[in-house]
Amino acid sequence: MVDVSNHTLVPEHVVLSDEDAEAVLEEYGVKRTDLPKIKASDPALPAEAVPGDVLKIVRDSRTTETAVNYRLVIQ
Amino acid sequence: MYTETPKEISEIRFGLMDPEQYREMSATKVITADTYDDDGFPIDMGLMDPRLGVIDPGLECRTCGKHSGSCNGHFGHIELAAPVIHVGFTKLIRRLLRGTCRNCSRLLLTEAEMAEFGDDLTRTRELDGDVSDVTKAAIRQARKADVCPHCGEIQYDIQHEKPTTYYEVQEVLSSDYPELIAKAMQPDPDDEEDEGMAPPQLAEATGLDLSRINQILSGGFRPREDQREALEDALDVDLTEEDLNKLMPSDIRDWFEDIPDDDVAALGIDSTSSRPEWMILTVLPVPPVTARPSITLDNGQRSEDDLTHKLVDIIRINQRFMENREAGAPQLIIEDLWELLQYHVTTFMDNEISGTPPARHRSGRPLKTLSQRLKGKDGRFRNSLSGKRVNFSARTVISPDPTLSLNEVGIPERVATEMTITMNVTDRNVEEARRYVANGPHRHPGANYVRRPDGRRLKVTEKNCEALAGQGEAEAAQVVDVGWEVNRHLVDGDIVIFNRQPSLHRMSIMAHEVVVMPYKTFRLNTVVCPPYNADFDGDEMNLHALQNEEARAEARVLMRVQEQILSPRFGENIIGAIQDHVSGTYLLTHENPRFNETQSLDLLRGTSVDGLPDPDGTDEDGDDYWNGRTIFSELIPDDLSLAFTSSAGDEVVIENGQLLEGTIDEGAVGAFGGQIVDTIMKDHGPTRARIFINEVSSLAMRSIMHFGFSLGIDDESIPGNASEQIEEVIANAYDRVEELITAYEAGEIESLPGRTVDETLELKISQTLGRARDSAGEIAEENFEEDNPAVIMAESGARGNLLNLTQMTACVGQQHVRGERINRGYEGRTLSHYEPGDLSADAHGFVRNSYREGLNPREFFFHAMGGREGLVDTAVRTSKSGYLQRRLINALSELETQYDGTVRDTNDKIVQFEFGEDGTSPVRVSSAVDHDIDIDGIADRVLDAEFDTDGELQSFMDRWQRPTNLSEHGEEPVEAPTDSQPARPVAAEVDDD
Ligand SMILES: [Mg+2]
Ligand SMILES: [Zn+2]
Ligand SMILES: [Zn+2]
Repeated sequence: MVDVSNHTLVPEHVVLSDEDAEAVLEEYGVKRTDLPKIKASDPALPAEAVPGDVLKIVRDSRTTETAVNYRLVIQ
Repeated sequence: MYTETPKEISEIRFGLMDPEQYREMSATKVITADTYDDDGFPIDMGLMDPRLGVIDPGLECRTCGKHSGSCNGHFGHIELAAPVIHVGFTKLIRRLLRGTCRNCSRLLLTEAEMAEFGDDLTRTRELDGDVSDVTKAAIRQARKADVCPHCGEIQYDIQHEKPTTYYEVQEVLSSDYPELIAKAMQPDPDDEEDEGMAPPQLAEATGLDLSRINQILSGGFRPREDQREALEDALDVDLTEEDLNKLMPSDIRDWFEDIPDDDVAALGIDSTSSRPEWMILTVLPVPPVTARPSITLDNGQRSEDDLTHKLVDIIRINQRFMENREAGAPQLIIEDLWELLQYHVTTFMDNEISGTPPARHRSGRPLKTLSQRLKGKDGRFRNSLSGKRVNFSARTVISPDPTLSLNEVGIPERVATEMTITMNVTDRNVEEARRYVANGPHRHPGANYVRRPDGRRLKVTEKNCEALAGQGEAEAAQVVDVGWEVNRHLVDGDIVIFNRQPSLHRMSIMAHEVVVMPYKTFRLNTVVCPPYNADFDGDEMNLHALQNEEARAEARVLMRVQEQILSPRFGENIIGAIQDHVSGTYLLTHENPRFNETQSLDLLRGTSVDGLPDPDGTDEDGDDYWNGRTIFSELIPDDLSLAFTSSAGDEVVIENGQLLEGTIDEGAVGAFGGQIVDTIMKDHGPTRARIFINEVSSLAMRSIMHFGFSLGIDDESIPGNASEQIEEVIANAYDRVEELITAYEAGEIESLPGRTVDETLELKISQTLGRARDSAGEIAEENFEEDNPAVIMAESGARGNLLNLTQMTACVGQQHVRGERINRGYEGRTLSHYEPGDLSADAHGFVRNSYREGLNPREFFFHAMGGREGLVDTAVRTSKSGYLQRRLINALSELETQYDGTVRDTNDKIVQFEFGEDGTSPVRVSSAVDHDIDIDGIADRVLDAEFDTDGELQSFMDRWQRPTNLSEHGEEPVEAPTDSQPARPVAAEVDDD
């Protein structure tokens, strides 16, 4: 399969460590399931990500340099 | 009553209702189908039993003791003689029948499978997914089992005959089994090797006695199931037929009663609130009479509600059923009555079920039963809940009034006296309140109703108004005083909400201040036409009077027109000069004309400017004069400096509030991004912007009236030689088209890359004719005076463009349908006026005349063809985009930006981590010319506003920042500055690029 992660239009997807994920959840005061989701079958998913992981996605933004998003990996 | 705080709803749970609960909450059992006795009194335990609530005024409810209006009514119940299926759950009933065991009622899944589906359910619920996907999969899996994994019972397929009949499909021995066996024993005539089978051989093959075989063949013995299977194997024949075994509602109820709680949980049903057997009704709730009021006709006859009619049917059949069963009637009759009862209960709930004839009124009209009250456009949801008619609203035609401020709305006196505002009387406004009441309901600033502290509402009349206001000798308790409410007329300065449909963006609903006026239309300043998308060709608008202080304060602060000058769509102003305003400022500033003192003062009379600046000079008669730009400068804030290019194309320079150079037109003061309006709004705030727009429009109106501005047919004429030039240009183009056609017919046209020869020809013809029209337009334009009104309007951006001008004066040009020259109509030609295959300009919709000259009949026809496409396009586009907008609004309507900057839905799920990914509102962002965010500008402005002297600013910038506990983000040890090491400046450093 094609690795899309090097494509210019695919933003950076990083799996967060458990501590980092917890920190994000605490910052926003949400449960894991309140985060936006990403399917485990998504081509942009890093190879090591498994359902239940939290991804940090850093997108380019026209108005701010980068925009950070978090997503929960689901089946 | 008013002190009660609203209760918070923490949860709403939907489920089935326990029949025991029906009985418990029932005010009475209903047993007679009759409603009223001969004297007109409701019959006890009838459908109009007074314990079910009261509708006649004066009567008392026998359950709660309240009177009609305050008693909400109470449910009763009917004990059904036999259980019936609830039509609303037929699908779920079918699924449960298919997924559970016919013997032990357990779910046909192993414990492991059940656990797996249970986990799947919890996960789906947590992720907010579709639970029915999982339960459907579980049923599909359960249906696969032929044998119950719990008790080993063989399962049969369930057939559902809509709406409420269920069958078990069983395989049973065919009734003509002897013939089938005998036939199978005969040799096959087509197969020579097949010698058939004699009874002894068959006995041997099946292991049955020969005598048994003979008995079977004679029809004297029915083979048991295992024997049948042996026969089928030996003879390779199917001896079964399908038998439909009808499941009565009572059977289904018994079946469902045995389903264990844990098994239904795996199907997503919470058995604490919904047991599956409750889907089979044994008790029917009778809605309170308040939900089905009877009406008395003119002739004194009572006419009952459709629901009551339906309930009468149910009770009648119910009684007949019971009588027949007690009399020991044959099963067939009982079953018929049962089906009839089922029909009536079904249609009571839904009278629009496919395959079932709807229950009808005596007149033949189908009855409106429970579902029909809720469903569809006229149903409870769409008509009574999502959209309902409101009080304190008015609607009428709108018309323009340039003397109003853009914040105001003119309201007809009739509306002002009809619509009221609720006024809470306090000791500070009691005198004012009495003055309103004293005027009565018909004299303008009057009052229509008062409400006493005890909650009684009194109508203010000519007779009682003076007494209520405390004039004359009235009892003190009868005089408006502190604690009363007065519904007073609308008066000047009241805040109201004004709206024009379709309400596509937030500026479609804005708050205005009332100005009460004579005549019958709502009046509004023309500068608010763009946000409402209003014109005055018969448009109507709605107005809502606000009824409490919170609403009024909120409207004034957030919704007032001046707060809506910037559109979140563009981030620029949507309110500004339009049409004649733009022409007016253009005339005033373009050639910078001179005005004498009287004229200058007249131009400024609608503004707050009450003195003229120093004159720009003296004319030859020694009189002072002022230039147009100087007069316009009087409206600009003194500290405004700006430079930009106008719509007319010249450079506009404003320095310290003085217009030094350039034309003020659409690009400067227009709606949709006029530079000066936009800048004033962003730099000076909404109030200054409102004043500016008001004064510009007023000055512009004075200006256009000073010069006079009109457009007639002669303004589109051009000199004879220009006409000749245009004729020549078009004639040349025609010749070139002819040349192209000749070349094409000779096969000399070379196709362009990616196109056929035919397409190439079309393209070249179109280009030739297009160029011809353009040069015709240019010739026409050259021959127009600078002061031609159409030119002024086009150049200033007030209305119209060069193409409109060309079409009016020079040549209308090619008409298109589907983006091509006109090619439709007859076979090979567009009209019968042309030879088939004629490729000329005329034959395919080129209109060489101008609108002023007039179109010939053929041109007119082609023009109508092109015009129709435009009309259809707009019609389709509006409906398409309307639907798209509706979908978007429904999808996004409950998203909300939280105080932490995230956007979340009502379940607190995050949609955006930062509003718009940058946390900024388009209308709060200052835009420099290159549309980057002007952070330097904002910072400078804030600092300028904050500090009076450079010294103060400097001391602030160098001030040591105290550590805060507001955020731990980026925290690092902060030390007090030492002399050698100055602290960081507070303002963020911004990169220049
Ligand atoms: Mg209109
Ligand atoms: Zn009652
Ligand atoms: Zn079983």
